[in-house]
Amino acid sequence: MSELRRDPILGRWNIVATDEPDGPADFEVEAHALGKGKCPFCYGNESMTPPEIYVVRPPGSTANGPGWQLRVVANKFPALQIEGPLERRGLGVFDLCTGVGAHEVIIETPDHQRQMADLSPEEFQAVITAFKVRSLDLRGDRRLKYALLFKNFGLSAGASLEHSHSQLIALPIVPKRVQEELKGAERYMEFRDRCPYCDMVAQELREGERVVCENRAFIAFCPFMSSFPFEVWVLPKAHSADFGKMTPEGIGDFSRLLKETLVRMRAALSDPAYNFLIHTAPIEAHEREEYHWHLELMPKLTKMAGFEWGTGFYINPTPPELAANVLRDAPFHG
Amino acid sequence: MPELRKDPLIGRWVIIATERAKRPVDFIAPAEPSGGQELCHFCEGNEAHTPLEIMALRPPGTAANQPGWTVRVVPSIKPVLRIEGNLNRRANGMYDLMDGIGAHEIIIESPQHIANAADLPTEQLHGALDVATRRIIDLERDPRFRYVLWFKNYGAIAGAGRVPHARSQVIATPVTPLRVKEELLGARRYFEDKERCLVCDLLVQEREMQHRVVLESSHMVALCPFASRFPFEVWLVPKTHRCDFAKMQPEELADLAYLWKQVLSRLKMVLSDPPYNALLHTAPFRHPRGKISHWKTIEEDYHWHVELIPRLTRVAGFERGSGFYINPTPPEESAKYLREAVPEAAVVGVSHV
Repeated sequence: MSELRRDPILGRWNIVATDEPDGPADFEVEAHALGKGKCPFCYGNESMTPPEIYVVRPPGSTANGPGWQLRVVANKFPALQIEGPLERRGLGVFDLCTGVGAHEVIIETPDHQRQMADLSPEEFQAVITAFKVRSLDLRGDRRLKYALLFKNFGLSAGASLEHSHSQLIALPIVPKRVQEELKGAERYMEFRDRCPYCDMVAQELREGERVVCENRAFIAFCPFMSSFPFEVWVLPKAHSADFGKMTPEGIGDFSRLLKETLVRMRAALSDPAYNFLIHTAPIEAHEREEYHWHLELMPKLTKMAGFEWGTGFYINPTPPELAANVLRDAPFHG
Repeated sequence: MPELRKDPLIGRWVIIATERAKRPVDFIAPAEPSGGQELCHFCEGNEAHTPLEIMALRPPGTAANQPGWTVRVVPSIKPVLRIEGNLNRRANGMYDLMDGIGAHEIIIESPQHIANAADLPTEQLHGALDVATRRIIDLERDPRFRYVLWFKNYGAIAGAGRVPHARSQVIATPVTPLRVKEELLGARRYFEDKERCLVCDLLVQEREMQHRVVLESSHMVALCPFASRFPFEVWLVPKTHRCDFAKMQPEELADLAYLWKQVLSRLKMVLSDPPYNALLHTAPFRHPRGKISHWKTIEEDYHWHVELIPRLTRVAGFERGSGFYINPTPPEESAKYLREAVPEAAVVGVSHV
């Protein structure tokens, strides 16, 4: 018998197949072939991107020239544009506004061959530090309400360039999915005076069967109501609303655990395409401690079809207990 | 300048990325390899390879589970929900769960091995839609179910599986899905404010403005919604206000089949046979629960419709994280392409209008 499991925050139900679950071998994973074209993210091709906004490079090297370790540039084909006023208007029954926002690309390494999972601990920390610096910087822009950090890895997960990179999109509106989480968390807190994410961390640590790995400050687990097979969430164990408030020490702990999770996932699922995203409190609410920031990681193994589009609930063929077990057993040499 | 547009029904914003504007030619993908020569369980003559039929349109004189049918409904061989048992609602610490009870049926839309419903004659589509209404009405009698979703996956990218034989599916669920609830709440909020149906208002506006309308038949309008999430997304909306798809009159059903054939044929022409998903949003089952009816004004505030989503873009981290979609083709452009693509009369058959 399969199970319907409810997301305690969003109230969304997912179908989790528990009788004939799919293991890692049941999914088709496409190979990440490396293309031959000139890559705008490689050394020597810096002029192919807009000028760098943030960079890690040794003293003596020139801006927008080779020698850097990490680069942040504006997206050449931005979904939203930074220039221009934010104008909201109506059109009969409809509402619209100008597409103002920021769209940046974090180029994680100059090396075309390496994935995020291959980065050294120091390089990995530099990426997470760049995430923090860029999102804090965009908070200065009063037009922007939310900054979403995310990564698409692999063609089927929507990556259009293979060179390892993450993205940041800052929006003039708090996105619906984030609003739903905020509302759900608020509802839970009103009722129980506790944070639902803190409760989740406590229950997962107690039960252990969905935990992938942990260190002193962070936990990675497959959520009870996972929408996708091998979905993993990474949360700070201590309540914290704002990703931007992480200390250098916290960044170190978070980087190590995320890297471990990515390495385990790559080993367990034969290098799958994946997406991850960071949910943190909206810009205007980051002082209020009513939210618990976290990272959601989902390998791209299943296809969205009519049922998911129509209902908003997902059919997950791999119970999170099985997924966590597989990921725990995957080799990792930290 | 890109535009942010808000879906008036559920309040979801969409980025219409005018800077990345894409035309049909940008989306045309290489043809998917067609399935092997293996035996198709859905073809006429292979009835023994499916579970026993739940119903079929077949001439008098032919026996159940034998050839001769035009449309056939069978339980899914890999059901996502099972029909037997009780819900057994329970808690696990802070989490809630219940058993996966429901129904999962396959509507085989043709006895012949044709993959795309766009290639079926209108009468065949009419039969398949008629069968869908009958299955919905029948499943409503089961008090464990709150909703039934009719949907269709065409092409591997859209999740159609390996067998290229036209079919749609119905899944009955023991909870009203979140996505449907959002629509119901949005429709009710608008109704409370204006005492009118939002979709009726929207139809008036779209028919006046015309530039997002693909085409109209006597009872239906096909349009590209203002806040389309996807390039070439099309909605089929009845002109007569009705919350419940299964209550359609016979002439309306025939007209829907005509429009469906038109829209699917045009989509196939414009985008060279793209993969797609389609789904029906209709009112949930309204079994009396407790003293207060859950959806008091639903008959007046909700308006059923079909959503058709060609699968041309990929849903990635941004969409998952934000619930925002980035649509590189403004719906006005999509509607124009679809409006101007006129399939030959011979292809679409005679209009029922």
